[in-house]
Amino acid sequence: MVRNFSKLFILILLAAFLAACVEKDPEETASTTEDGETVITLGRVTAANPKLPEGDTYEDNAYTRLVEKELNVDIRDAFEAEGEDYDRQVALAISSGDLPDMMRVNSLDELKELVENDLVADLTDVYDENASDHIKSIYESYDNRPLNEATFDGRLMAIPATIGGNAPNIVWIRKDWIDKLGIELDSDGDKLITLEELEKTASTFIENDPGGSGNPVGIPFVYWLNAGDYGGSAFAMTSIASVFDAHPRHYYENENGEIIYGSTSEETKKALGVMKEWFDKGIIDPQFGTRTWDDITALLTNGQTGIVTGPWHLPDWGLSAVKDMDKEAKFAAYTLKGENDKVNVFQENPVGQFIVVRKGYEHPELAVKILNLFYDDLANEKNIESEYPEIAKYNELGVDGSTRPFNIEVYSSTSQLDDFRKVESVVNGEIPMEEIVKPSIKADAQSIIDYIDNPENAETSSWSKYHSRMFGLGLIDELTKDNKFNWTTPFYVGTTETMEKKGANLLKLEEEDFIKIITGSESLGYFDTFVENWKSQGGNEILTEIEEEIEK
Amino acid sequence: MVKSKRFSERAGRFIIYATVIFLGLVCLLPLWNIVAISFSSNEAVVANAVGLKPVNFTTKAYEMIMDDAQFWRSFSISVQRVILSLIINLVIIILMAYPLSKTKRHFKARSIYMNLLIFAMLFNGGLIPTYLVVKNLDLINTIWALVLPGAVQVFSIILIMNFFIGVPKSLEEAAIIDGASPIQVLLKVYIPISLPALATVALFSIVANWNDFFQGLIYMTKVSNYPLMTYIQSLTIDIAEMINSGNSNDLQNISEVSNRNLNAAKIVISTIPLLLIYPFLQKYFVTGIVVGSVKE
Repeated sequence: MVRNFSKLFILILLAAFLAACVEKDPEETASTTEDGETVITLGRVTAANPKLPEGDTYEDNAYTRLVEKELNVDIRDAFEAEGEDYDRQVALAISSGDLPDMMRVNSLDELKELVENDLVADLTDVYDENASDHIKSIYESYDNRPLNEATFDGRLMAIPATIGGNAPNIVWIRKDWIDKLGIELDSDGDKLITLEELEKTASTFIENDPGGSGNPVGIPFVYWLNAGDYGGSAFAMTSIASVFDAHPRHYYENENGEIIYGSTSEETKKALGVMKEWFDKGIIDPQFGTRTWDDITALLTNGQTGIVTGPWHLPDWGLSAVKDMDKEAKFAAYTLKGENDKVNVFQENPVGQFIVVRKGYEHPELAVKILNLFYDDLANEKNIESEYPEIAKYNELGVDGSTRPFNIEVYSSTSQLDDFRKVESVVNGEIPMEEIVKPSIKADAQSIIDYIDNPENAETSSWSKYHSRMFGLGLIDELTKDNKFNWTTPFYVGTTETMEKKGANLLKLEEEDFIKIITGSESLGYFDTFVENWKSQGGNEILTEIEEEIEK
Repeated sequence: MVKSKRFSERAGRFIIYATVIFLGLVCLLPLWNIVAISFSSNEAVVANAVGLKPVNFTTKAYEMIMDDAQFWRSFSISVQRVILSLIINLVIIILMAYPLSKTKRHFKARSIYMNLLIFAMLFNGGLIPTYLVVKNLDLINTIWALVLPGAVQVFSIILIMNFFIGVPKSLEEAAIIDGASPIQVLLKVYIPISLPALATVALFSIVANWNDFFQGLIYMTKVSNYPLMTYIQSLTIDIAEMINSGNSNDLQNISEVSNRNLNAAKIVISTIPLLLIYPFLQKYFVTGIVVGSVKE
C-alpha cells in the first residue's frame, strides 16, 4: 500500500516538474490604454526619502503626469526598489522572462549580459533621429565616452548616464581653529598647500587642542584608505597620493606606455612613505586601521580632529554635524600641490548607469523622447513657474530626483562649474537671481545668500551649501581657471573575469598590507613584496584582460 | 558542617544570580542604548556621546516618524499580515496536527503525509521557482503574497502533533463515551488542553511574520506595499554606496532619513507591538495543565 502511494507521489512530482518546463505563451501586455495612451512599464530605482507631497507616488507624480501630458504616455511601474534590492528585482524579472519595457541597469557588466542574451533593443536609429541637439552636445562634451560605453559592435544598446564631476580631492581644515591659533597657511592664497604646511597645521592642532576635547588625534583616515571613484574618496588618502601623481585603485597607462594598476606604482609607494612617516610622528590618527566613516564623523563632531580629506560635497552630508555641535565651526578648503607644482587628478570613470529598452518593445523612440523632455526641455526652461507650475513646486519642496521616470543624471561636463559660476555671480550681486534657470541651483544660491546675510542664525543646510559651493566648487573653479590640473584618464572596462574571481582577495591583500606598512608592522620595503604578491595572485591576469579589452 | 553548607549554598546562589543578572544586562543594555539614542539629538549621536542616558533630550525623531505616511501605511500592512497569518496558520496547524496525531490504525495514510511534510520542511523550491509560483498566481503586490507562502508551518504542526500525542488517551475516550464527535473532541478536549503549546506556535507565527522583511522585498514591487520591516530595512542605507551615483541634493535627502537616531526611533516603535503581545500570551504559558486532569 505504502509503496503504491510513494510511486504515486513520485509520479505527481514528475508531472509537476514537466508542467513547469512547458513554455509559457509570451505574455500579451496591453501597450495602449483605452484612452489611446501608450503604456510604458518601468523598472524604477527609488530613494529612501523621496519627499513626495501627500498623495503622490512614484507611479503618479508631477513628472509622470508631465510625461502623460507631453508624450501621451501612461507610465506604470513594473517594480520599484533601491540598491541591492533593485538589482534583485532586475534578476527576478530576467529569470521570469518578464522584463519591463524600460529600466535602469546599474553596471556595465549587467548591460553586457543583457546585450549578449539579446534582451535589449538597438537604440542607434531612434537616438540619431530623436535626440535633440542639446542632448547630443551633452554627450559630446565628454567626447562621447558615455555613448561609446553603451555601444556594442557599433550599435547603441542603451542610454547612458553621464560621468560624475571630475575634481581634486579636497583637504577640509577647520578655519576657526586656524584663525584662533594664528596658523600661517597658504600665504600666497592660491588654495594650494604643500605636505609640509599640512603637517605643520596638523601638529599645531594636536599640540593646542583647539577643540578642547582633551584627546586630539591628528588626521584620520578610513581603514580602506583608497576608493575607486571620486565620490567615495571621503577620508581616503587620495589627496596625499595625488601629490606624487599616484592614483591607487585605478588602471591606467604610465609614461612608458604600460598598463599599470595604480596601487602598485612607485608613486603610491612614495605616498605610503609619507603616510608612514606621519603615523610615526603622530600626525595621523593613532587608531588608524580601525576607523570607519562613523568613527571619523564622531572625531570631527567631538572636536578631536579638524582636518579631513574628501570630495567637494563633503560638507553637505559629512560635516554638517560639526556645525550642529559647535556653532562657531567653519571649514576652509585646500588641495595639496603636487611635486610637479600641478594638482594631479584622475578623470572619473562613467557611473555605469544605463537605461535599456526591452527588445521587441514597440516604441523605443519614447525612451529618447523622455530623455529630451527631462534633460533638455525641462532643464533649459527659463519660465518653469509659468510653464510647469507643478514641477516648480516639486523643486521648491526638494522632491528627490529619483521620482523622475529615468533616475539617471545627464548633464554636460562643464555644467557643474557653469552652475557654480552663476551662483557666485548672484551671491556677489552681479546678476539678478532670475538669471539662474535650474531651480535646484536657484535654491542653492538662496541658501548661500541666507547664510551670508545671517551666519549666526542660518540653518545647518545653508551652512553646508555655503561651504560645499563657495569653498568646494569655488576651489575647483579657481584651479580650472588657473589651469592647474594634470589629468590621468583611467581605463574603464567594468569587471573582468579575473576581477570577479580574485578581485576581492586582491583588494583585501592591498588594504591589509597598506595598513601594515603605515602602522609599522612591516617596513616600507615590504611594498615590493606586496606588488609581487598582487601580480602573482591574479593581478597579472587582470592586466592582460584589460589589455585585450582595450584592443577590441 | 551545617554552616559551611549554608555558605556554599549561598555562594552558589550568588554566582547563579550574578551570572543571570549579567546575562540579562548583556541583552538589555544594547536595547536601552537604542532607546537612549532615539531620544538624543543627532549631533550627540554622531559624536558617539550617547550611553544609557539621552543627551540633549528631544523627540524630534519620533515627530518625523509620525509625519511619515509610508511608515504608518507599512505598519498597517504588517498588522494585517500578522493577523491574517496567525488565523490561517493556527487553523491549518490544528486541522493538520489533529489527524496526524492519530495512530496508523485510525489514519492509514498518515506516514505518507508525514513524509510529505518532512520532505517539504527540509527541501524547498528555492528563491526563483517560488517567486515564479507566486507571480503566476498573480499574488505579487497583494497581502496574500506575504501570507500564503508561509501558510503551512511544518515545524509548528509537528510540535502541536507531538503535544496532541502526549495528551492522555483516557481524556479522549471519556469524551467519546459521553457522545462527542471527533470535531467536538478536538474543540472541547484537545484545544483547551493545548493552549500553552498553541500560544507558543502563535507567538512563533506573530514574531516571524512581524520581523520578516525579505518576502516583502521580493513579492512587493512597490514601496507603498512594503510591510514595516521591509520599509525600515530600505531606509537604512549605507551612504558609501549611494555616494558616487547621486547628485548632492539627493545625497542630502538620504542623509536626512538614514541617520542613527531616526533609525533607533524606528526600531523602538517597531518593537512596541511585540512587547505588548508578550504579556497577553504569557498567561497561557502555564505548564502542567494536563497534570491532574486524569487519575491513572
